[in-house]
Parts: sequence; C-alpha cells; structure tokens
Amino acid sequence: MAKLKALFLWCWNRVLWFWRIISRPSAYLSLGFLTVGGFICGVLFWGGFNTALEVTNTEKFCISCHEMRDNVYQELTQTVHFSNRSGVRASCPDCHVPHNWTDKIARKMQASKEVWGKIFGTISTREKFLGMRLELAKHEWSRLKANDSLECRNCHSSVAMDFTKQTRRAADIHSRFLTTGEKTCIDCHKGIAHLLPDMTGVEPGWKDKPELQGKGAAWHGPEREMRAYLADLPSK
Amino acid sequence: MTLSRREMLKAQAAGVAALAANMSVPAEAQPVTGGVDSLQIKWSKAPCRFCGTGCGVMVGVKEGKVIATHGDMKADVNRGLNCIKGYFLSKIMYGSDRLTQPLLRKKNGVYAKDGEFTPVSWQEAFDTMATKAKETLKAKGPTALGMFGSGQWTIFEGYAATKLMRAGFRSNNLDPNARHCMASAAYAFMRTFGMDEPMGCYDDFEHADAFVLWGSNMAEMHPILWTRVTDRRLGQPHVKVAVLSTFTHRSSDLADIPIVFKPGTDLAILNYIANHIISTGRVNKEFVEKHTTFVKGATEIGYGLRPDDPREVKARKAADPGATTPSDFQAYADFVKDYTLEKVSALTGVEPGFLQQLAELYADPKRKVVSFWTMGFNQHVRGVWANQLVYNLHLLTGKISEPGNSPFSLTGQPSACGTAREVGTFAHRLPADMTVTNPEHRKHTEEIWRVPPGIIPDKPGYHAVEQDRMLKDGKLNFYWIQVNNNLQAAPNSSGETYPGYRNPENFIVVSDAYPTVTAMAADLILPAAMWVEKEGAYGNAERRTHVWHQLVNAPGQARSDLWQLMEFSKRFTTDEVWPPEILDANPNYRGKTLFDVLFRNGNVDKFPLSETSPEYENQESKDFGFYVHKGLFEEYATFGRGHGHDLGPYELYHEVRGLRWPVVDGKETLWRYREGLDPYVKPGKGVEFYGNKDGKARIIAVPYEPPAESPDGEYDLWLVTGRVLEHWHSGSMTMRVPELYKAFPGARCFMHPEDARKRGLNQGAEIRLISRRGEMRTRVETRGRNRMPPGVVFVPWFDASQLINKTTLDATDPISKQTDFKKCAVKIVPVTA
Amino acid sequence: MRARTVLGAALAACIVLVFGAAFSQEGAPVKIVPRLTGTAQPMELDRVPALGRPIVDDVKRMRNYPEQPPVIPHSIDGYQLTLNTNRCMDCHKREFTEGSGAPMISITHFQDRDGQVLSDVTPRRYFCTACHVQQTDVPPLVQNTFQDAKDIGRKR
Repeated sequence: MAKLKALFLWCWNRVLWFWRIISRPSAYLSLGFLTVGGFICGVLFWGGFNTALEVTNTEKFCISCHEMRDNVYQELTQTVHFSNRSGVRASCPDCHVPHNWTDKIARKMQASKEVWGKIFGTISTREKFLGMRLELAKHEWSRLKANDSLECRNCHSSVAMDFTKQTRRAADIHSRFLTTGEKTCIDCHKGIAHLLPDMTGVEPGWKDKPELQGKGAAWHGPEREMRAYLADLPSK
Repeated sequence: MTLSRREMLKAQAAGVAALAANMSVPAEAQPVTGGVDSLQIKWSKAPCRFCGTGCGVMVGVKEGKVIATHGDMKADVNRGLNCIKGYFLSKIMYGSDRLTQPLLRKKNGVYAKDGEFTPVSWQEAFDTMATKAKETLKAKGPTALGMFGSGQWTIFEGYAATKLMRAGFRSNNLDPNARHCMASAAYAFMRTFGMDEPMGCYDDFEHADAFVLWGSNMAEMHPILWTRVTDRRLGQPHVKVAVLSTFTHRSSDLADIPIVFKPGTDLAILNYIANHIISTGRVNKEFVEKHTTFVKGATEIGYGLRPDDPREVKARKAADPGATTPSDFQAYADFVKDYTLEKVSALTGVEPGFLQQLAELYADPKRKVVSFWTMGFNQHVRGVWANQLVYNLHLLTGKISEPGNSPFSLTGQPSACGTAREVGTFAHRLPADMTVTNPEHRKHTEEIWRVPPGIIPDKPGYHAVEQDRMLKDGKLNFYWIQVNNNLQAAPNSSGETYPGYRNPENFIVVSDAYPTVTAMAADLILPAAMWVEKEGAYGNAERRTHVWHQLVNAPGQARSDLWQLMEFSKRFTTDEVWPPEILDANPNYRGKTLFDVLFRNGNVDKFPLSETSPEYENQESKDFGFYVHKGLFEEYATFGRGHGHDLGPYELYHEVRGLRWPVVDGKETLWRYREGLDPYVKPGKGVEFYGNKDGKARIIAVPYEPPAESPDGEYDLWLVTGRVLEHWHSGSMTMRVPELYKAFPGARCFMHPEDARKRGLNQGAEIRLISRRGEMRTRVETRGRNRMPPGVVFVPWFDASQLINKTTLDATDPISKQTDFKKCAVKIVPVTA
Repeated sequence: MRARTVLGAALAACIVLVFGAAFSQEGAPVKIVPRLTGTAQPMELDRVPALGRPIVDDVKRMRNYPEQPPVIPHSIDGYQLTLNTNRCMDCHKREFTEGSGAPMISITHFQDRDGQVLSDVTPRRYFCTACHVQQTDVPPLVQNTFQDAKDIGRKR
C-alpha cells in the first residue's frame, strides 16, 4: 500500500515538473533548441496528419472495407475507368474525393457519417446496399451537379476534347450541351463506374426542356438553322 | 471576300433547291415490274431449328429458296417474337461449305482409315458402311454396333433410328446427345412422378407471382421465354425474380434476389428451403398426406467416372446409385434440420438475407412460384438429386400442377422432349416412357412394331460417355453419328472421344450438313438435309408437338437422316442380323430386308403417297412410295394413346401451331395431374400423379455432396462451360451466319478482373487454359455479359477452333449418366510464345 | 492460327474454289480445312486471334429482309440494361428521340402478347440485346450464299 502511494507521489511530481517546463519553456530550454525542435515536431505532426489523410485517400483504404470492396469496387472493375486502351485508370478517390485542400477537408468531415454507417452496418450486406443504392447515388449526383462535375473535369477537360476524335453523335451532344455550359457531365453520364439504382423518373440529360419538346429545336444544329432560315424567307 | 452567316446559308439553300430540282426518281418508286405477284412470298409455318423453347416461325420461300423468316404471330409460344438466332434462321442452310456429296476416306481407290476424304456415290457409301457393319456384327455381335443420335432429330428420324437399332440390329447402343442435356431431368421426373416431362406449360408464366432460376441463364439461352418472364415481372410490380447461379449473367439483370453460390452447393440451398418451410410451419399438410410419399436416397454414389478411378473405388454406393428406401415425413424433417441458415450461408457463400428471401418465395402460401432450371441442374454430378430436391419444395407446399405453380425443367434442344425422351432414343428406353429392361414393355413394343418376340435386347446399351470409352477401348466398332457434333460437345474429348474415333478398329460414320470437327474425325461423311429441307416434327419443353412441311430441297445429293436410316436398312436381310432361333420360330420373317420388316410392316407404309400435301415437296415419301412421315407418326402414336401420352391425328398437326400432349378428343392438356385440367385424373381425386401406381409423388431425402473435382493449389480455378445468346450449341449453324458470327466471333474466357491481374493477364490477352485432361487456348474477357466471382471462369463451347471440352472432366451424375460440364478444376497461364 | 481471320474473306473464297473444283472430279480426294476450326487435324492447338472490336461507325446496315432486327452500329460499352434502368431507351424511347437524334423504337415493339398496341414499349421487349446485337470488325469465316428478295423472283 505504501509502495503504491510512493509511486503515485512520484508520478505527480513528474507531471508538475513537465508542466513547469512547457508552461515557460524558454526558461529551461534554449531558444535555438525550441525553434529547431518546434519545427521538427511541426513537420512530424503535419507530415503524419497528411500521410494519414492520404492513406484514407487511396483505393486500398476504400476497399479495405468489405462494403466498398464487394459492391461498388466490383462494379468499377467492369468499366472503362478500371481497364482501358491506355491503361490510365481512375481509383475511388479520383472521383469521390475533391482534390483541392479545403474541399477535401470538408469531404473528410462529411465522411465521419460514413464511419457511423460502418459501425452500425448500414450497408453491411449486399441486400442492404441494394436497398440504399438510390439514396447513395443521389448524394453523389447532387455533389457532382453542385460542383459542376469537378472530379470528372480533373481529368476530362471539356476544352481539350477533340470533337473530330469523338463519334459524331458524341461531338454533337457535347457541343450542344457541354461547351455551352447548359449541362454538366453528370447530367448525362450517370452510372459510368457503378451499376445504377432504380432510374424511374430520372431522365437523360439530353431530354429537351418541356417548352422545346416536339419543336425539333434541339437536334441537327446547322440544318435546323437552315430550315429556320428557309421558313423565314418571304414566300413568293 | 467574306460572307455573312446569313448569306452563306442563303447560298447553301439555293444549292439544295437546285439539287432537288434535278433529282431523278429513285428506281424503287417505279411501278412493280411483273406486277404485285412478283412480290409474293410463300409463307409456311415451322418451329425454330434451335433451342427447346419451340418458337413458331413463318418461313418465306421464293423460287425454292428461303428468303425471310419472322416470328409467328399465331404461335402461342412466342406470339411474333424471335431471338437473334431465330431471326436469322433464313441463313442457316446457306453456308457456302454445305456438304453435298458423301465423302469416304480412301487410299489408292479403296477405303482406308488413314485415307483422304474422297467424294463417293451414295451407293458406294452405303456399300462400304454395310460391309463394315456386317463385319462387326459377325466378329463381335450387336453390342459392337452403336449409334449416337440427337434431340435435333425429327420425331420420325428418332423413331426410325430406335426401330433400326433395337429391332433391326438388336443393339441398345443408341443414345442421343440429349444425354448431355437433360438426362438428369428425365430421370428425376421418372423417379418422382413415374412419368416424364413437366406437368405445367408456358402458360404458367402469365400466372406466376415469382420466378426462381436454378442454374439457368434464360436471358441468353431461352430469350423468348425470358420475354414472357420479363413481361410478367415488369408488368406486374408484385412479381419477384430470383436468379441463382455460380456467376452473374444477363438473367441476373432482372433479379430482385441475385444469388451467386459456390459451385455444387445448390443442393444445400434446396435442403435449407425445405427446412425453412417445415420449421416455419408452412407445409401444406393436406397435400403432402394425400399426394406424396417419402423416400431416402442412397448416398456416396460416386461420379460416373471410369470404374478404376479412385473416386469410384471409394464411393460406397457407386454400384446402385439410384437405390431408395421408404421413409416418412418425420424422418425427412429431421434430415433437413441440419441445413440451417447459418450453416448453409457459410457453405454456399450466400448472404443469409437473400437465402431467407428466397425461401419465403416458396414458403409463402399466397405466392405462386415457377422454378426454372436447365444445365445448371442437369449438368451436375448430383443432377437427379437437384431436380428432385426442387420437386420436394413444390410438393411440400402443394405448389404444383396448377396455373402459376410449376417446377419447370427447360430443354436445350428443339426435340429433346419430342424425340429423345418421348420416342425413347436413350440406351435404356422405348417409346412412351417404357424401358428395355421391362419384359412387358419389350413385348408391347414388339407387337406394335410387328417384329417377332424376343427381338429387342433386354440389356440397356452404352450411354453417351460410355460409348466414347467403349470406342476408345475397342469394344464398340461400328458407330453412326447423326445430327450432332459430339467431338466438340463431349467431355474430356482429347482423352476419351477423339482416340475412339481414330481407333483403327473402328468405323465412324457422321451424317451432317456441314464439315464439323466430328465429321472431320469420321471415316465416312454423309451429307444431310436440314430443317425445312424435309418434313419434320419436334416436341418442345412444354410437351408441344409441332409439325412442318418440306419447304425447299436440300442442295446436291444431301438427304435427310430419315432417308439415310431407311435406305440403309435395305442393305440387311433378317437372316444376316437376327438369330436363327428367332427366325426358326418365325419363318415368315426369313429372306426379308430390315426395310421390309421395319418400314413396310403394314403400319409405316399404310398411307399412300396421295395423302401428302400437293402444295409441298416430300422427298422421302416420293423415294419410298408411301407417306413415310404419317406412317411413322401413326405407328408411334399408338404407343401413347390411352396411356397419358396421346397424340392427335397427324393431319391436325399440319394445321395448328403444335399441340401439348396428352391430346384427348382433339384437345390439348395444359396442366397435368389435376382434376378438371387433365382428363386422366379420376373424378374426385383432386390431384393424382398417375405415373406412379399409388398416384403419389415422391419426396426424397438426399444430402449435399461435393463435386467430383474442386480447385486446389495447382488447378486453382473452377471452370464452367456453357453457351452464348448468339450461337447455338457447337455453332455449326450459327457460326455460318455472318451477322451471328460477327456478333460473337470467338470463344473467350470470362474471368474476374483481379484473377486476371493476379496472373499478369491483360483484358484480351491470349491464355492457355489447362486441366488434368488437356489444354486449349483462348483469350481473357474481364468485362461484358458474364461477371465472374473470383475463382470461377466461364468458357463457351460453340467455337470449333477453341475446344474447351478438351479440358472438361468426364464425370457424370451416376444415376442419369449426364456429364457435369459446370464444375472442374483448371489453371490459366499466359501464352508466352 | 486462324490465319484466315487475318487473310479474311479472300482466302475463304479461294478455299471455296479449290473445294468446289475438287468436288467436280469424282474420285479425287479433297483436302478439307474446315474454316471454322482453321486446322487440318481436328484436335490441334492453334493460336487464337485477338478479340474483335465492335463496329461503332454509326452507319445503318441494310437488313437481309424487313423482319430482321437492325444491328447496333454504335458503342454499347458499359450500357446498363437491368431491372433498374435501360440505357437503350434513354435515346431510342419516343420521348427522347428528339434530343438524342436516335431512331425511335419500332411500332411493333408497342404490341403486347395479344397484339394490343400500348402507349409505350411493351415490357416483353425490354431486353433489347436479345434481338439487337453489335457487329465486330472480323470477316466471316464462312461465306453465306443466302439471297434476299431482291435477288430472287423479282425480274427487272
């Protein structure tokens, strides 16, 4: 008993000693030591934080959870974002984590919700995952819609698209909707990396606005213009 | 000079106008030269040539050529739809390498096993064949003679073949390729209901609330039936679809309950569902008590490999795999109790939630369920068990023999039911579900055939896989293959099949329309007429018998298999092939040809040529001088009439789009075994499984047993083989249709992307796929229609240049003798050279 | 290996000629190299040609007869056709054709099993790829001598 009391006292003294030093470090340690030490500690801390953060930004980390591995990742492996002509591939964070720092941190804070999901097993089975798919997909659609498909554009710059290298149909649609800013990538390109949820009521991006439907307005840009011009000519 | 945009447009518009003014009238707008008559096409009905669905097609003929086909609006099966293969039927007969002349291997002008194929006359072909057959008969007796037929034979052809083999040559070594296809289903029907083929029909689809696919990729293999399932599922939101498979495929795309299980463990899932039904108190007690009895099946029954294989030596009950002992409900309930949710989930790799949802489809008394299966169940070393276990579920709940409640075995060939099963071209069967081992059945058959008693041998012949083994071992020496491509289809083909064909002791004849791999491995090739080049009849999976007329002539000297069989029978006299003691007892059969006793027997030749339709050609009838097809049909129909297999009068079939037997008083039967729907059920019985003497169906207790070969350290992948939508079976027809060829031009190995990356294989890379039996080369496909789980690969077998069956294992279900093409172990390495 | 895939239709045509010529002389042996296998010996191992690439030139192909389902001339890579969604309909459905410029689904596809015309595509036609397929850029191994209605019976 006495021994224990002695140990406790010793510990308390140590704590007091430590507090004395860190409350007024320069009284005990040289300024040089403090500056260099502080810098090193800072580097270590920042490096550690960033490294940890970066680890959470890898596909390996994402698919270390079976929820991601067995569902969305399996679906990704079937797509052009997993294997393709040039071998450049997108991993989970490329599309799902913003690249600039503040957005990234914001997204990471949001991710705390996902930690809860993991703990409570919200999508712990395929069955539950399929049940949640629409909701989860809607989150991503609205995020990409709100940031003008930023993660798509990290790789696919619209101005760098060579329309002569695209199929005519794709080039037409891109020049009508994408370059004009009328639509953003995600409006048309849903389900490019994963299977889609029940799409009832989700209409394709190229559907004309209600007031333009049936007017033949949208398609065949130059021809339409010409037809409009011919119609405009005063009839003889 | 710069033009404003508006001016530019103006200039363009002028150009367009000028062009329009000068435009000549297109040729097509001219009046029809020769009048509208020249546009007429003669349309006639026929069943599709491909799968067991049995779609009706309309065939358009002009100047002796098929120029178009489309789905028959009047055909109940498909109501105007066809799948991609059906829409291209018009082209299947016109591959430029059609065989038009018999080809015999010759050296220095005479037959030689190592000779080159040389065109010969039919005369010489049959002479050589007859000589070889007679030599074999003399040296080794009828058991050295064999024939491998087909579920693509017309009913007439199968029937003529069974007569020629059993009563003519006195050999039961006759088996159809349907053995590879649905023998397990046929055995299970007999063991459960005492009578073959489904009780329900396709009309079940429009009544069901749930569909469960057990090892069937209907979206690709039975696309038209899939349209009916899709119609029901999407049109009626309460309907559910469960798809069980060892990998994800196009049928899974419609699944509410998608299940991917570890190969072979479906048996455990079936027993778990039975356990679930019993433990939640949802057994239909009244039905079970009145209409079922319980049995326990023998276990550890082996894998149908060669008897000296260690797996066979170890199997306790390999000698009598089909044995059963009587049991009762309590014993059965105790037996399935072992199959708990946790245990089965762990064994199968399927989430408990999905298993429960699936079990509820069966257990819920308000839900009408149709179960479908094809090769996933049938090509299974425990295929008969799997079939019977699904009957258990329908019998326990009474969900059977009524609209919408139906265990439904689908077939892969157009006449697997009609010819292989109903006509009885299996090594152990006779027409109308009779067997060669039953003396009464043989006697009855001999009476109808008007042959002397004792002619039909009593020992079952060699089944498909055994035929290959016997050819290799030199015990089967004269072998005739018709309407199938077995060297491409048979398991372990380089180890067991090919050596038999090229065994110098053997003479191999192949009748085919095209030079298939099998034909190229033969000694004599006979050019065959196909599909609408002859009058025919097929029987589909829902008991529908469908007849067609000859619509065009076969090219060159090609002749139908029926003509070949009948013409060949003329080369033998009874004195040459029947035992003297039988002829002594029946001297009036002496000195006659087999043609006389089998086909001019007063039945087959009963109907004169004048009864054939004046509107259509009928080659065989013209050649033989009587209405061959009607004669064969009517003689064959006497077997079933009054015994629950009734067929209508032959003429009727030329008018309708098929009829589902039993056809009683001109009316077809849609659902069997239920009073009011089936005229054979006695009044007051409600339900009667009259195939069994006690009128009851059997519920069987059998366990999960592992496959014959599972992956290990060296051969580390499961291999599953199968088909693709665009090609049918060995591709001998569909690979010759350019559009179908270009849609899926070659086989490939579907595998999980990570399995590929682990082995350093790129998408599209060339690989060697190696098993303990052999190897083949193919290319990697990690994307597309089949999405494989890790550890499982799928290779289709349609491609003659990539013979996957060199690697498959010749293990069969020991009861049905049907090969398991879905489970063996392989390894995959990159092609380095 | 299937060298013919590379040499293509020309080679196949040559074989037809050789084959045909051999046939005409009764008694002379014929050397058949089945064009589907590509090897003279049935069980030989052979190199496997690269997987064909889908033709995606967006050019309509003539049909062999009016009842033939048109082939798909564009890429369908990654197009989902499931219980949840039908990517084909996103362009070919009546309401979307104006925006997409794609041909509208044939009116025959609006009929249900009983021939009744519905207001939209019948669910039984939901899985487009059961009838409509892509074509790859490989020449057919075997020529087909099918003649269409234009070649047969319409004398001009």
